[in-house]
Order: sequence, then structure tokens, then C-alpha cells
Amino acid sequence: MAGSMSLTLSFVATFSLVICFAVSLFQMRYFFSKYESVIGNHFLLSMVQLISCLFSFLILIYVFLTSNFDFQIVYSNSHTEKPFLYKLSGTWGNHEGSLLMWILILTIFNFFYAISNSSDIKLRNKIIANQSFLILGFLSFCLLMSSPFILLKEDVSQGLGLNPILQDPLLAIHPPVLYVGYVGFSLVFSFAIAGMLNNKVDKEWASALKPWILIAWIFLTLGIALGSFWAYYELGWGGFWFWDPVENASLMPWLSATALLHCIIVLEKRDTLQSWTILLSILTFSLSLIGTFLVRSGILNSVHTFASDPGRGLFILLFLAIVLLFSFSLFASKGGTMEKPSSFRVISRESGILVNNWLLLTILFIVFLGTIYPLFIDLILEKSLTVGPQYYVMTIAPIVFLLLIFMTITPLVGWAEGSINQALAKIKYSLIFSLTLAFAISLYFDLFSITQVIILFLSFSLIVTTFFSGIKFSKNNFFIKSILGKTLSHAGFGLFIFSVIANATYSEEKIYDAKVKDILELQNHQFMFEKVNQVEGENYNSIQAVFSLLEDNKAVKQFTPEIRFYDNPPTVTSETSIVHGLFSDMYIVMNVPQYQDSISVRIHVKPFMNFIWLGVFMIIVGGLFSIIYRIKS
Amino acid sequence: MKNRIIYFLPIIVTVFICLFFFFSLSNDTSKLSSPIIGKEVPEFSLVSLFGNKENFNSSVLYSKTPKIVNIFASWCVPCRAEHDVLMLLSKLEGVEIYGINYKDDPIEAKNFINELGNPYINVGIDEQGRTGIDWGVYGIPESFIIHNGKVIYKHIGPIHISELDDTILPILKDLK
Repeated sequence: MAGSMSLTLSFVATFSLVICFAVSLFQMRYFFSKYESVIGNHFLLSMVQLISCLFSFLILIYVFLTSNFDFQIVYSNSHTEKPFLYKLSGTWGNHEGSLLMWILILTIFNFFYAISNSSDIKLRNKIIANQSFLILGFLSFCLLMSSPFILLKEDVSQGLGLNPILQDPLLAIHPPVLYVGYVGFSLVFSFAIAGMLNNKVDKEWASALKPWILIAWIFLTLGIALGSFWAYYELGWGGFWFWDPVENASLMPWLSATALLHCIIVLEKRDTLQSWTILLSILTFSLSLIGTFLVRSGILNSVHTFASDPGRGLFILLFLAIVLLFSFSLFASKGGTMEKPSSFRVISRESGILVNNWLLLTILFIVFLGTIYPLFIDLILEKSLTVGPQYYVMTIAPIVFLLLIFMTITPLVGWAEGSINQALAKIKYSLIFSLTLAFAISLYFDLFSITQVIILFLSFSLIVTTFFSGIKFSKNNFFIKSILGKTLSHAGFGLFIFSVIANATYSEEKIYDAKVKDILELQNHQFMFEKVNQVEGENYNSIQAVFSLLEDNKAVKQFTPEIRFYDNPPTVTSETSIVHGLFSDMYIVMNVPQYQDSISVRIHVKPFMNFIWLGVFMIIVGGLFSIIYRIKS
Repeated sequence: MKNRIIYFLPIIVTVFICLFFFFSLSNDTSKLSSPIIGKEVPEFSLVSLFGNKENFNSSVLYSKTPKIVNIFASWCVPCRAEHDVLMLLSKLEGVEIYGINYKDDPIEAKNFINELGNPYINVGIDEQGRTGIDWGVYGIPESFIIHNGKVIYKHIGPIHISELDDTILPILKDLK
């Protein structure tokens, strides 16, 4: 039986959540017109919501850190011998804990919104009401079906442990960052609902909303990037994106958020595209919810899925259905009445942004189809079907072509009415320069195909033109110009696409059965198999192979791929060893030794990996600059 | 006014997607579609790894008490990891585990069992991996629950201790 200490902790933590529940229910009164103009004490009440959730989350962290196995969740996910960091990250490495964290982040956003400056009382009241409704929904789910504070009936002295593949510092922060992104869009959603209820979707509304979109978008981008970074380093499959359904589930809101980020600019500057902005706001949050549903309901099989439970799935689905039907009905009832007459020509920046919006949504649709279609086939025909990367690459690539072209030209075309000829005249030297560069790279790698050259050319053009126009505009007062953020993000995107294509085209891998003292060769690199070591880690034992990279018969770099054996739970993992070069990464993965005299290893040479990460980094930093600019002005 | 219909489109799409998710929920995709489940065990007769025992025959599996057949090898590292769980399982009342030693050197296999303990009632030697093919093995360890000569459940990969409580033991309990 659980001790009295555990009983108290469990009770206090649950009670604290009940307080938050009650306050949230109270805050929902602002939905009624009677209260819509009342100036309430948002600061105090949102603080109560935040602190009550934070308090119970801290209790959860405390029971994890003290390895209190009276709690079912700790027993199932932790172990006394686990290093401190993973005891901590174990708190949110499971369904119940991560749900509580999700709610905590909701209350954090709610709090920061409540204390932000806003002159529109009605808007603020409605947003607070809607945020409270969302908090209420997730809290009910937590309290009724997924409480992390359930105590074990039996006495146990040891926990079951955490999957070692998840024991990685990056993975300790990947979920929280991603959640901040997902949950951030709840606020965007609330803005949309409040805007519709108040019949006020205009420039002011857009200006108030934009920073929140940016914040959520930055975190979502960072969260996705961290996950992909982890996959590249930890999984050792040689890739950074696998089109896994759960990865797709995070990519979908990103695509729609990126579209939203651009069309809100049109709304803010030109006071048009109201319905479209609202629709994208709802869509982005819905996709975050659908992502949650897919991960937690168990209808997908993936490394990411939590222990599945149809009851939980049903609850999230019901919540999803309520949220979506309510908001889309509201949307339908407003019809086109929110839309202001727009006056822009076919050739204008508005059109360019709209076209890019559609391109992003087309990619979104492709990803959605690829993720859902196998489920659909399984349901209808009871056959299992796998959608491979080929599908995504083949269908998305042509759209990326178009996207690059429009991204290059649109920012150079004026609002309302522009001219393509003028835009092209501005960038003709950049284009010639990019074309030369694309040919040069193809020649260097001695691989020449029209498609490759075109896409390299397009991505270079994007980088070069955005940088040149960016620098021209921001000659004076460099750091606070709004254009700097855009320049960095757009050029980062160009760099990203370029590196992805170059990486895919010029990568090589080979499998060897290696004996000690063998010299293996790949792409003019020589690798020498030196020896095998036994290594004892903090909570595992491992076999380590030592390879060195030879240059002029001298060892310049060392590789130490490992096979690790964990005891709790008993698992075997393979650790990739990577040597990073500026222009290419090399890495070696070993297999579990099966023979006496040789081990099987896989060697990869992957050019331009660093530039992929640099591209993503630039995209994120660009977003940060935009936020800083917003705050400064 | 024709335009207004477009504004209702999201609702229609939502309804379809929610219905689809609803039906998917009740559709269990986690089941591993293995053609062997529900079928009778393939016929085999394997020489026992333990010199003093008779051959391990498929006829043994035609019995009212459920049996677990575990396919393993000494060279397979996950099998090593799984072994503790099998030892634990074998100590439980009414659980009978049989082993098929897959593509292995019998001497190595004996060392493996001497070193880590013996959870098996009998172990058949399948040096060429022929019986393994009949069982549809595609990565060891694999474990099967057999009742009255029929395959009830197939588990691919090492059995994790949490899976004992969640799946293996409930299935055994149901069969009794």
C-alpha cells in the first residue's frame, strides 16, 4: 500500500487541478454578451490557473526525482538507477505526464496573453473565455481518463525504466518545445473565434495576433528540427526525416502555420483576406489537435506512439469534433460578411502570397493523404499499405519548384499592383550568378541532370536575391529592420532546399564485413578498423569498434560506433559515430556482432548535412528577428 | 449567394474526417497480421538440445494446457536480453515454455543455457532454420502461444517485462 506521504501528494496535486478547473469554468462566463465588456481581473485569475497547474506539475516532477514508485506513472516509466536528467524528462516522456505539461503550457500562454497590452476589452474577454474552455477540455481529459496521480495498489521496490532509445538530452527538450508550438496555436485559434464572435477581424486584430503566430511558429519549427536532429544522430538510419506518420503530424500544422504567417501580413497591411486568415487559424490548431489524436489514440503505429487506449482516443476525438464543428459552424454562419472588398491586381504581392499559400496547402494535402490513406485502406479493404518516402518526394518536389520561384519574385513585386518585368530587372545579375553556381556544383560532383540543375539554380536564386534585396533595404539601422527577419528566413529556406537536394543526390553508403586492420574505402576516404573495446557506461555495457579516418596514411579522425546493452529494461541499441566536416558528415554504424572474426558495419558519407541544419537555424533566427522587431516598435 | 456554399465546406470535411477517425479507432491496427495466427502449428520433429530427452515433436503442442514456443539463438543479442523474462515466466505456475534453437551451433546454445539458466522444458535443434521458415520467422527472438495445436498469439522481438503483464499473462489466463 502507498504511504501517507504519497496519498497526500496525490490528493493535493489532484485538488490543485480541480481548482484550475473551477477557475476556468468561471472564466468562460465572458462568452455571454452580458459580461463581454466587463473589465475582469484577468491577471489574478489567469495567475491562479497557471499556478495551480504548475504546482501539480512540480509535484509530478518531485515524485519522479525521488523515484516514488507508489505512483503508477513513476513505476511504469522510471528506475532508481536512471541518471538525473532522464528521471526529470521521464515526467513528460509518457502520456499522462505530457498531457499535464500540455495543460501547463496552455495556462502559461493564457497568462502571458492576459498580461499583454491590449486596448480591445471585448476581444480580450472572448479570448480568455475560449482559452479557458480549451483548458477545461484538456483538464477533464486529464482528470477523468489520464490522471498522472494514480497510486499503485501493490508494493514495488523498482520501476520498469524508460526506453533507452529515448534517453538522450535532445529528447528531453524536444517534446516540451514542440508542445509550446502546438499549444501556442490555441491562442491563435482563440483569436479567430473571438474575432468572429465580435465581428471584428481587421488590421488591428491582425497586428495583435501576429506576434503570437510568430512565437508558436518559432517553437514548432524548433521542435520539429530538434526531433529530426535527434533522429539523424540517434537512430543511425542515415536520414533526418522519415515521413513517419507522427513526424507528418507535426509537419502539417507547420505548413498551415507558415501559410497563416504570410496571409496575416496581407491582412495587416491591406485589410483583406479575412475569411482565409480565419480559416487558416482554425486549421492550424485543428491540425495540432489531430496530431495529438493520432499519437495518443493508438490508431497509428510508430516510435512515437504512447501506450494506446481506445477510450482516450474517443475522448480526444469527441473534443476535436466539438471544437471543429463549433468553430466551422461559426465560420459558415459568418459566411463572407467578414470579407472586405479587396482591390489588388493579378500581378501584385497579395497574389504572390496567396499563390504561395495555396502551394503550401497543396503540400499539406499531400502529406495528409499519405498519412491517412493507409489507415483508410486498412479500414475499408483490410489490407495494409505502406506509403514510402518516394511518394512524398515525387509529389512534393514539383511544388517546391514553384514555391521557390514565387518566393524569389513575390517580395520584389509591389503591393496592390506590381510588375514582373521590373522585378526581374532587379534580380537579373543574381539569376545569372545562381545559374553559374548551380552548374559549377554539378560539375564538381560529376553528376549532371536537368532537374538537379534547375532546383539548385532555383534555391540559389532565392538565397542570392533575398540577401541582396535584404541588404539593400537595411543599409541603415541594420538590426531593427523588419526585413532582416524575412531575409534570413527566406534565404534559410533556400539554403535548406539546396542542401536537401544536394545531400540526397551526392550521398553514398556501403556495407562491409570488416575484420580488424581492414581498410575500407568510400568516396576517396579511407577507414581503418583499429580494434574492439568493451566499455562500461552509467547504466549500460557496450561493445565499441574503433575506426580511424586515414589521410596520407595517417589517422586524422576517430570513429567509435557502439552496441549498447541496457539492463532496465533489457534493450540493445546501436550508437552511431559521426565525424562532422564542414562540407560533409561521415559516419559509421555497427551491427550486433554475429560472427567470430568480423563485424558488419555501414559507412555513410553525407555531404551538406551542416547546411541543412544551418538553413533551419536561419529560418528560426529569422523568426526571432521578426519578433524582436515587433517588440521594439 | 452561390459563394456561401464554400463556407460550409469545412464542416462537411470535418464530419467526414471525424467519422473516419471514429471507425479507425475501433479498427485495431496494432494486430500483427501474421498468416500463422489461428492456424495449426507446422509439423516438425527436432532433435533435442538436451541429450537425455526425446525429440521435440509438434504433437506435444496438441494439449489443453497452453504452451509457449520461443525461437532463439545464442548469437542473437536481444534473445540474451529476453532470457531473464523467460526465466521469470517459466517459474510461474502452469506456464510451459519450449524452445526452438534457430540456426545456431548446439554447443554454443548449450553454453548459453548453462550460463543464463534454462526456462525450457525441451529445446529442438533447428540448425538449418527449416522449421523456422515453417513458423514464418523473420527476426528472432519470436514467441508463440499455442493452445490445442493452434497458434493463438505471436510476439515478435524480445518480450519486455511490461508485456508480460499487459499481453502474455492475460492471454494465458484466458486460455485456462
